[in-house]
Amino acid sequence: MNIIEIKGLKKDYPLGNTVVKALRGIDIAVEEGEFMSIVGPSGSGKTTLLNVIGCIDFATEGSVKVGDREITVLNDRQITDIRLNKIGFIFQTFNLIPVLNVIENVEFPLLLMKNQSRTEIRRRADRLIGEVGLTEFAEHRPAELSGGQRQRVAIARALVTNPDIVLADEPTANLDSVTGAAILELMKEMNRIEKTTFVFSTHDANVLKYARRIVKIKDGLLSDN
Amino acid sequence: MMLLVRLSLRNLFRQKRRNVLLGSAMALGIMILIVANSFSHGISDIIFNKIMPYVAGHVAVRFNEKGGVMAEIFRDKARALAAVANEPLIERTDESVGFFMRAIGNGKADNIILVGADTTRGVSKKELKELEESFKMVDGTWKDLETTAVENAAILSTDKARYLNVKKGDVLRIRFRNMFGQDQAARLNVVGIVKNSNIFMQSVVFVEQRRAKDLLGYRSYETASLNLRIKNPQKNSRIIADRIHSRLKPGLAYIQGTVSNKNKEQTVVVFGYKSDDDSKEKFSKKLKITDGTLENALKKNGVVLCRPLARALGAAAGDEISLRYDRKFEPEPARFACKVSAVCEPTEGLGENVVVMNDDKFYNVYYESLPKNDDATPPAYLPKEGDAWYALLSPEWILLKRTANTDEYTKKYKEMGKKKRKSTLIDVSTMYETASDILKLEGVLNLITLSAVLVLFFIILLGVVNTLRMTIRERTREIGTIRAIGMQKNDVRNMFVLETFFLTVFSAAAGVVGGFAVMGLLKQMTFNMSDNPFGMLLVDSHLHFVPTVLGVLGNVLLIVLVAVLTAYFPARRAANLSPANALRHYE
Ligand SMILES: Nc1ncnc2c1ncn2[C@@H]1O[C@H](COP(=O)(O)OP(=O)(O)OP(=O)(O)O)[C@@H](O)[C@H]1O
Ligand SMILES: [Mg+2]
Repeated sequence: MNIIEIKGLKKDYPLGNTVVKALRGIDIAVEEGEFMSIVGPSGSGKTTLLNVIGCIDFATEGSVKVGDREITVLNDRQITDIRLNKIGFIFQTFNLIPVLNVIENVEFPLLLMKNQSRTEIRRRADRLIGEVGLTEFAEHRPAELSGGQRQRVAIARALVTNPDIVLADEPTANLDSVTGAAILELMKEMNRIEKTTFVFSTHDANVLKYARRIVKIKDGLLSDN
Repeated sequence: MMLLVRLSLRNLFRQKRRNVLLGSAMALGIMILIVANSFSHGISDIIFNKIMPYVAGHVAVRFNEKGGVMAEIFRDKARALAAVANEPLIERTDESVGFFMRAIGNGKADNIILVGADTTRGVSKKELKELEESFKMVDGTWKDLETTAVENAAILSTDKARYLNVKKGDVLRIRFRNMFGQDQAARLNVVGIVKNSNIFMQSVVFVEQRRAKDLLGYRSYETASLNLRIKNPQKNSRIIADRIHSRLKPGLAYIQGTVSNKNKEQTVVVFGYKSDDDSKEKFSKKLKITDGTLENALKKNGVVLCRPLARALGAAAGDEISLRYDRKFEPEPARFACKVSAVCEPTEGLGENVVVMNDDKFYNVYYESLPKNDDATPPAYLPKEGDAWYALLSPEWILLKRTANTDEYTKKYKEMGKKKRKSTLIDVSTMYETASDILKLEGVLNLITLSAVLVLFFIILLGVVNTLRMTIRERTREIGTIRAIGMQKNDVRNMFVLETFFLTVFSAAAGVVGGFAVMGLLKQMTFNMSDNPFGMLLVDSHLHFVPTVLGVLGNVLLIVLVAVLTAYFPARRAANLSPANALRHYE
């Protein structure tokens, strides 16, 4: 089953008097449980594509279906709900909440969902932190962690809600190659145990060997699979 | 919700320096506002709760015989008391017996105010507490005033005692001219020393009420001005004052007596005529003189008889006749002689057996010895209100108009001072009008501090907006992140509003604590202002603050509300950021 279906996606950014055509007609389908990579040079539209898939940016044209729902017609409240319930994000710059410690950061999305008890939330967060190997750092604030540790927290946070899709925009770009490899191993491992669909972008050819499917993007167009 | 609270609290402590700065400004504003508010309220408290009730009561009924400032006397105590009787809202009625005089102590002399203190009647617990707060006995007790072991037991203030160099057991000699113009001297025996909280009371020397009245020349059936204590004075004073005022409407003053000339006697009614120029002119138009002269009739001791009465008495102008009448409060009849100035034709509305005399002379007789008029058989011709004669004849007293505020009140007394009055003046006023300027002062003080604080508030608000903008800019990517993760717009907005809310609440709390601390400190300081009118604003030489729950809470609520409202708009802007743009944000 296709968890993501995109047809004729175009995205324009107005820039002064001109328009930047970041995506120029993209068709793609992603199956449930895939571990897919989007590769392309800088400025090719990777972030833009992931943002549209992740419902944090809107298509200028075309249709975007996430989990069978056409998102281009939803209002902000509904889209926010989809982000919360269906999608997990991993960012290049980790983007943890600095005032919350590791466990609180991981619990954060669950608290927003407001449909589980405190103990359930704590149990789930503990499990995820265990899976990313940070149990002994649970009480640390992000500032007290290394880059790799931060990204592990981000992975735990992205997965804690049990989302349909995890989107990772250059998750290893801010890490050295050894740590980056470890992170990708971890993502792959999570993909295996949680059966979660992973889509991640990169411009680093070294990273590609982890992907089971690779999509190339250039100048806002997919070249070939 | 808990999540939002936690986030905003933690974020608040993130930018410590910035928020501490802004918070201090807010705390300072609140502090100033509370201190200033409590101070101006304290002034009103001093005036209305610590001074006025003792000096003039909540409502004062003042008597000034012949308009004399010092002559606070009304000759018919029972009648005065009847006007304030049967009013459950009047907690107590006091005669205010007080007089300026010279006192000589041990080698030192000074002016004092002799005040009658009613120690014999019971006082309520509440009154006792207030009394003890204002007057602390240093030596002796109030009950010592009643002693008969020494002549004229007196209690005076520590300051006066020091100045006059007297202590308990010493003698004070006093000299004064009483309200009837007679020079008097007496001795007071100091039986107690009292420390009073307000310099207003420092010149006061207390003597037992009845003894004070004796010393000053009051007779037992005469009363001084009345001070009334009212239940819930702020609400009831004016109502009570109006009611008493309406009960004190005067009638015409007249004497039923017997006039004799040689061996002839006639029962007569004696009236006074008003001797101001306007009334005199009208009066002379009514007279058809048949004997004597109009000029004499209008003189200070002018006496006019009706022709039938003159004939019956065989009296002519220039004859000395004598008048005799029963007195209301004394057993022997009053007698006095007067010279007939003129005889006139009987005039309509006044009857024939009538003597009319200049009010100057009339009131002298009338007030000195109030007549025991026969109410059962009033004079056949007694002009009623609206009659032509009524306006020309002397009333029992003059009742001054009620006034609404200090301006009107002082204007009333100024106008009164211009005219020379022959009769007793009665004024009914509440402390809120005699001292309405104080209330105004409180309002003005509050307004000044409020406007100063409004400026401060404005600066604070700029601070709030500015701080919030900085914060939002710094946290743009964070906003993008939490929006991406799935926090709703409104929650983002509320998070920032809450942050400001907590900052303001903490600052306000600090401001309140600080305000009370400052007041505590200021209260510790002693000011020596005994010869300065500002001393009036002190209690026991200390500043007096009366913070009110309403004042404190009101100010805190105000600043919190304003700050939250100001924070709302930048917070909403932050919430409306597109998550994608927020995530791309780069400083
Ligand atoms: N907010 C924006 N306004 C204008 N142009 C934009 C905006 N965001 C992206 N672009 C443009 O859109 C194109 C695609 O950008 P995008 O960030 O998707 O590239 P990318 O493949 O993620 O690059 P990188 O590997 O450097 O992150 C670029 O040419 C970029 O300049
Ligand atoms: Mg990118």
